Amino acid sequence: MYKSFISIKKELLLLVNDKTGLALMFAMPLLLVLIITIIQDSAFKVVNENKISMLVVNKDEGAEGATLVELLAASGMFDLRLEEDCSFADFQESVASGKTLTGLYLREDFSSRFGEHAAGLSAMIMGEAGFSETLAVGESEAPSVYFMNDPVLQDNYVLSVVNMLNTHLNVMEVSRMLESLYAEMGFEELPASVKEALGSNRIKIERVLPKDQHLIPNSTQHNVPAWTIFAMFFMVISLGSNLVLEKATGSFLRLKSMPSSFWWVMLSKQFVYMGVGLLQVVFVFGVAMLLFPFLNLPPLLLPNNVPGILAVVLVSVFSAVSYALMLGALSRTQEQSNGFGAISIIIFAAIGGVWVPTFVMPEYMKMISMISPLNWSLEAFYALFLRGGEWSELWLPLGILLVFSFICQLITFLHLHRNRLI
Amino acid sequence: MSTLISIEGLGKLYPKAGEPSLKEVSFNIHQGERFGIFGPNGAGKTTLISILCQIIPATEGQVRYFIKDREVSFSDIKQHIGFVPQDLALYEGLTAFQNVEYFGALFNMSAFQVRERAAHLFGLLGLSQVANKPVKTFSGGMKRRLNLIVGVMHEPGILFLDEPTVGVDIQSRTAILEFLNTLNESGTSIVYTSHHLDEAERFCDRIAVIDRGRVIALDEIGPLLREHAAADLTHLLIKLTGKEFRDHV
Repeated sequence: MYKSFISIKKELLLLVNDKTGLALMFAMPLLLVLIITIIQDSAFKVVNENKISMLVVNKDEGAEGATLVELLAASGMFDLRLEEDCSFADFQESVASGKTLTGLYLREDFSSRFGEHAAGLSAMIMGEAGFSETLAVGESEAPSVYFMNDPVLQDNYVLSVVNMLNTHLNVMEVSRMLESLYAEMGFEELPASVKEALGSNRIKIERVLPKDQHLIPNSTQHNVPAWTIFAMFFMVISLGSNLVLEKATGSFLRLKSMPSSFWWVMLSKQFVYMGVGLLQVVFVFGVAMLLFPFLNLPPLLLPNNVPGILAVVLVSVFSAVSYALMLGALSRTQEQSNGFGAISIIIFAAIGGVWVPTFVMPEYMKMISMISPLNWSLEAFYALFLRGGEWSELWLPLGILLVFSFICQLITFLHLHRNRLI
Repeated sequence: MSTLISIEGLGKLYPKAGEPSLKEVSFNIHQGERFGIFGPNGAGKTTLISILCQIIPATEGQVRYFIKDREVSFSDIKQHIGFVPQDLALYEGLTAFQNVEYFGALFNMSAFQVRERAAHLFGLLGLSQVANKPVKTFSGGMKRRLNLIVGVMHEPGILFLDEPTVGVDIQSRTAILEFLNTLNESGTSIVYTSHHLDEAERFCDRIAVIDRGRVIALDEIGPLLREHAAADLTHLLIKLTGKEFRDHV
C-alpha cells in the first residue's frame, strides 16, 4: 500500500514539475474548444461542396413522390439510395446510426394529399378570380414529407439541405397549380393574394430527432468532445518524455536490481495519467457546460447514458496513455518523443475527423482514418453526444480502442524487455 | 572467511556482438570483504557488476549467493543487494528526501523505516540541510552522495558500487569513502569499481583485474604488487593490461 502510494506520489510530483506538459494538457484544449467552436461555421463550409448521401423511402402510391425523387436526382446535389421495402422505424434506425447522412420518407398518401392541396389552392384562386366560391386555404391541409439527418451533421449544413428540399417541393407545387390554372383560366399572372397564400401555407418538412431528444446537434456538441480527445492524446508530450527520462537517468537499471517489479513504475504512471485524462475531460466539459452560455455559445449537453460516457472516457484515456508509453519506450531522446509524439497526434487528428469530418473525405482517406485511435474515440463520443448513445453503437469503437491499447502496451513491454530495461 | 558470492565459469555474449564481454570468469567474494574489480575501459567490469546485481543475465556459468552461510535463491537475493550505478539514477525534479522515499518504498520499507533511515544517512553524508531541496539544485558531489544513500537505504548485506566517486571534489570523495568504511565495519560486503586507483589501493582488501572479459589477476593487493614487481596499483594495471588505448565504438 505504502509502495503504491509513494509510486503514485512520485509520478504526481514529476507531473507537477512539468509545467509545459500541464499547459499542453489543460490550457490547450480549453483554447482549442473555445476558438474552434466560435469559428466552426467557416471551418465546415467545405462540406457544402460534396454530394449528400440521402436514403429515400418512397411509399407514395401516386406520381408526385417519383417526381420529387427525379428532381432531387436531377439537382446533382444528392447521392440517392432508393428503398421501397423499408419501414419508418428502419428508416429512423438507418439514418440515426450514421449509415446515411440524410433521409427522406414519403408517405403512401403523399400524391393524393398533394393533389388535394393543389386543387384546394386552385379552387381558392378560382374563387379569387370570381369563377367559384372562395375556399379558405386553412381547410386544405398541406401534405408532409419526413426528413431526418445523421446527428453528426452540422446544423447549418442540415438546414441548407432542408432548404434545398423546400425549393424542389415549391417548384412542384407551383408548377402543378399553374398548369391547371393556365389551362382553365387563361390568366397570364397570378394574383398577389394567391402568391401570398402559396408562401404562407407551404408543404411542411418534419425533422425527426434521435431517440435522446434533448441532445441538439450544434457546434458545442461537435467540438468539445473532438478537441478534448485531441488534448487527451497530447499527453504523449508529458508522459513520453517522462518515460524517456527514466530510461536516460538509469532509474530502470536501478529498478532491475530491486525487489520490486517494473510494473510498479508503469502502473503508477498509468494510474496518474489516467487521472490526468479524466481531469481534462471534467475540466473542458465543465467549462463547456457552465461557461459557454456566458460567451453566447450553446452549452454542452450530456447524454443520458452516463455509464456509456464513463466507459468511453476511460477507454479513450487508456488508449492515449498506452500510445504515450509506447512512444516513450521507443524514443531514445526527449526530442524524439516530443517531436514524433506531437506530429503523430496532429496526423491522427487530421485523418481521424477531429478537424474535418471523415464523411467529406475521399474513400481511401476514410479507410486510412480507421488507423487513427482518435477516429474511434471520436466515433464513440459522437455516438454519445450526438446520436443519443446506445451501447450497441459503442461496442465497436470501444473494442477497437482496447485492441489498439493492448498492442501499444505489448510493444512497450517487448521493446523495454529487448533492450534489457525491464 | 565464508563465501558470499560464488562465480563459476561466467560468460556473457551480447546479442550481435562478435566477441563475448566476459569469458570463463570464476572467483569467490567473501563475507565482509572490500572487493575491487579493475581493468581498462571495455574490459567487462560493468558487465560483471550488472550480472552480479541481476540487471542482465549471464549467457554462461552461474552465480550463487550465500547469506550467513546459507544459499539464497536468485529471486530472494535482491532484498540483500544494494546497487550504486555510475549514472546518477535520481529524479532531478524531486527533493532528496522524495528520492530516497521512493526508492525506499520500492525496497518494501515502511514509511517509518524510510524516515528514520533517511534522517540517519542524510546526517552521515552531510545532506540533512538540503533534504527537502530539489536534486536539480545540487552540486555533483551532493548528487553522488545522494546516489549512494539511495543504494544503501534498505541496509543491504552486499553493496555494489560502479565508480561511486567519479567527478566529485575531494571533500565528497572523502565523505563517501569514510561512509563506505563505516558500512563495511558494520558488516556490509562491498564490491567496487573505480578509475581512482590510489583510492582503490587504500580501500580494497582484494582485487580482480579484468581485461578483454577474462580475469587476469586475483589476490590481495600486497601480494599482487610483489608478484608483478609493481610499485602501486596504477603500475600493476599498466603491467598487466599494457599501454595501448582501449577505445571502442
